[in-house]
Amino acid sequence: MTGLILRRLAQLPIILLVIYTVTLTLAWSIPGNPLENPEGRRPSPEVAEQMLRQYDLDSYPRFYVTYLDRVTGLRYVRDRMGGEIAERRDAAEAAGFDAPEQPVFDFGPSLQYDDWTVNEIIAGSLPVSITLGGVAIVIATIIGVAAGVVGAVKPNSAADFATLVIALVGISLPSFVIGTVLLMVFAVWVPLLPVSEWGSARALVLPSVTLSLPFAAYIARLTRFGMIETLASDYVRTARAKGASELTVLVKHALPNAFLPVLSYLGPATAFAMTGSFVVEKVFNIPGIGQHFVAAVQNKDLFLIMGVVLVFAGLLVVFNLAVDVLYRFVDPRVG
Amino acid sequence: MIRVSVVIALLAALLIALGSGSSVPRADLVVYNGQEPTTLDPQRLSWIPDMRVARVVYEPLVQNDVLDWNATIVPAAAETWTVSEDGLTYTFTIRPDARWTNGEPVTSEHFRYAWRRGMLPDIASDYAAMFRYVRGADAFYEWRASQLAAIERGDSPYADGLELWQATLERFDNTVGLRAPDERTFVVELREPVPYFLDLCAFAVFAPVYPPLVDQYETPDVRTGRLNRRPGWTRPPAIVSNGAFAVTDWKFKRGLRLEQNPHYWNRGSLNVRTIDLPSIGDPSAAVLAFRTGAVDLMVEVAAPYRGEIVRDKLGFRADHASEVERLRARGLDTYAIDASLPDDPRNRAHIIPAFGTYFWNFNCSETLTDGRPNPFSDSRVRRAFALVIDKKSIADQVRRLGEPTADVLIPPGSIGGYAGPEGLPNIGDAATEAERATIVARARALLADAGYPEPGAFPITVELVFNKDSGHDLIAQIIAKNWQEHLGVPVSLAQKELKVYREDLKNHAFVTSRAGWFGDYADPTTFLDIMQTGDGNNDRNFSNEKYDALLTRARTTTDPRERLSVLAEAERMLVEEELPMVPIFHYVSMYMFDPAKITGMSEHPRTKQNLFLIDVLGDGVGADLPRPMKPRETGAMGDEAGGSGG
Repeated sequence: MTGLILRRLAQLPIILLVIYTVTLTLAWSIPGNPLENPEGRRPSPEVAEQMLRQYDLDSYPRFYVTYLDRVTGLRYVRDRMGGEIAERRDAAEAAGFDAPEQPVFDFGPSLQYDDWTVNEIIAGSLPVSITLGGVAIVIATIIGVAAGVVGAVKPNSAADFATLVIALVGISLPSFVIGTVLLMVFAVWVPLLPVSEWGSARALVLPSVTLSLPFAAYIARLTRFGMIETLASDYVRTARAKGASELTVLVKHALPNAFLPVLSYLGPATAFAMTGSFVVEKVFNIPGIGQHFVAAVQNKDLFLIMGVVLVFAGLLVVFNLAVDVLYRFVDPRVG
Repeated sequence: MIRVSVVIALLAALLIALGSGSSVPRADLVVYNGQEPTTLDPQRLSWIPDMRVARVVYEPLVQNDVLDWNATIVPAAAETWTVSEDGLTYTFTIRPDARWTNGEPVTSEHFRYAWRRGMLPDIASDYAAMFRYVRGADAFYEWRASQLAAIERGDSPYADGLELWQATLERFDNTVGLRAPDERTFVVELREPVPYFLDLCAFAVFAPVYPPLVDQYETPDVRTGRLNRRPGWTRPPAIVSNGAFAVTDWKFKRGLRLEQNPHYWNRGSLNVRTIDLPSIGDPSAAVLAFRTGAVDLMVEVAAPYRGEIVRDKLGFRADHASEVERLRARGLDTYAIDASLPDDPRNRAHIIPAFGTYFWNFNCSETLTDGRPNPFSDSRVRRAFALVIDKKSIADQVRRLGEPTADVLIPPGSIGGYAGPEGLPNIGDAATEAERATIVARARALLADAGYPEPGAFPITVELVFNKDSGHDLIAQIIAKNWQEHLGVPVSLAQKELKVYREDLKNHAFVTSRAGWFGDYADPTTFLDIMQTGDGNNDRNFSNEKYDALLTRARTTTDPRERLSVLAEAERMLVEEELPMVPIFHYVSMYMFDPAKITGMSEHPRTKQNLFLIDVLGDGVGADLPRPMKPRETGAMGDEAGGSGG
């Protein structure tokens, strides 16, 4: 187990370097000048040149090296050893201000949003996506398991049929349709919940439900098949024979085993919910990280593209590792 | 299993706690500004929505009275000013009670510092060119840029970047015509008289910044000599500003909260305590937020909604046509008329002329990028193509936003005292088929004259380049059809990504293309300069000695009336003879607000909204009195001819 974790962790920098190189090369080839307001006055050529020079955007190799220096934290270490950071802090203190923060892993400034660093943008939006994705998975699990159990108890009944149909709809309907319908019903026609705000539990309801539905549908199907299989097994028959109540049989004996496939599905599902909520974020105007994927590429905001991709890559590698570890933990037959 | 449920419940509670912040009560005024500000650094401003916020947060020396049809210059941070007789020296006196949000006085040195930033290549201001009217600014910029290049090459006379920075400051003090003889006196020397200089001073890019703060975030790099810019000082908690409102909260992509600047000298004039500027990424969510009352005022409405909203509004106005006529006869302006009509959701939209024009570019280069001779280098060809564009169809059938068709570049009535030319007619103007045929015949004659008597044998396929989105494709289709049908030339449509389109235009790699331009300041040159030989925004590569000479003449003409007539002649050349582009329509601005509730919005075609003028009627805060446009002076420009659309 420890060996596996160490091996995976050692691979991490190599994976990230490959991703860094590929992403940068692709992002660099997007046409256009990222520093130019596409709808406004064009700066004079001298100014445009100075702007590019300022960010090393006039040379791919120089950018590659200086940016790598930045994101890996090497520059921070150098500045720290050289005393530059302390010097700036002292100067700011002398003038009565807080010194601008310098992060260790510096993803640089956003080119599109001049007043923000990429670190700040990610720090502000990643927790939002993680919250939304996490809540959605919790909801999905509750709805999915409940629906699956109901279906399994009376297979081929009306209730079972209904949950299957709903599950099918949940999987096939795109979330922008579900989201818009929920928004119209619960925020416009019956104004119970807010339209577009973020920051309260109420505001979290519609988007997390929307995001949870496809996952809930899949979990329902997994639970149903798992339960049907388990309920037919010998040990369940034994439990019933011993006179255990139906509820005890279902919840205490059958469900834990039927839940195993759901658990293994939850790993990748959580990663996907936290990172793939772009459409839901858009529909509900949620300040998550998904929006930056598209906008950063459209704006050729190199620093933001790199920052978001690297953070995601890092997260996914960690999630995959966690799932692998979890498999071995839950099911001793694996590994 | 119970344990699992408990874990899940705890997890859910934790996540909800994470996601919920303390909910702040709604502001007095909630404005949807179109997009999150990209920056609130005055010297780095470029986008119109950013400037709208910056004007509330920072106060320049002077400002435009946007509720006056002449957009008169009125005092702001400067209390008074004098202009020397030769028009070269402006002396501003900063008001004694001008204060930063931290209570410190605003001094002339702060303006000098901010304007220096505008002149530094390191800051790379989009509007650097506007600072170049100051004596010595041009040479200072060039010198600094060349010194930075020298340091990079390794042949700098300075030991390191810090030494270069010291030399830069000294050079600025000694060579640039900005002086601060005392805390309250700011003297500006220009290299030539600039009749609209005060209007530039009212531009947000010329607003001051607080040097002790900015110094912490901009430090010269020892190695490269460049200023290292770090973001952060334009946001709370760091930000120090001098405008009517202070930014008290700014969460990225969530929005800004503005509160009255406690030290603002003119606080008594403010009629709301707080302003929220929520960021709403999705245009339909923004419209929804307005309809549910979460937003009081929309200063931008996304294109897909505009058509429907305009149709509703026109229907509403038609239902009350006689009442509208009666109110108009009483001299009421658009918003005042709207406020007098019965309450109706359709009456929330307001369409007023904007300071911008949509036009179609011709590449005027001698040869195309592939080396072939360019027929559009001949002005007769350009004129012929211009005559047969049916502008009326485009404005009325494709756009349907109440935009007036344009025969000139500068929106009529937008600049006080300026009387522009007539422009060329087009087939859309023809009342009868016969008239239409006459115009087409004229166009064909021009083509024949230019050496293309057989239109089928036109040497190139006429390509129409446009960026995708915003319905430019529909406009291109109409124009292409017009050209094909009436001139018989081969055409092709080329839709491009915005960035690619911008690059192609810059490199003159197109035959014809869509384009548009918004003016920045109250002078015809804000439109005319972009047609000058070598101008950075001269995508058409238009070069005409006579035209350039007219603009040069205007620069040296001191009599304002004569100067404007020289500029009118230059515009006449553009839109009647040379046609480097064909004006199609003048833009309109669309705002959404309840006219009985919101007051203080400008109807001036300069489309500058000063949000600090707004009062929410009946909220018990501020004067709660309607603030309409001031009555027009008799004989003043800017009559309803601009077409209010409403």
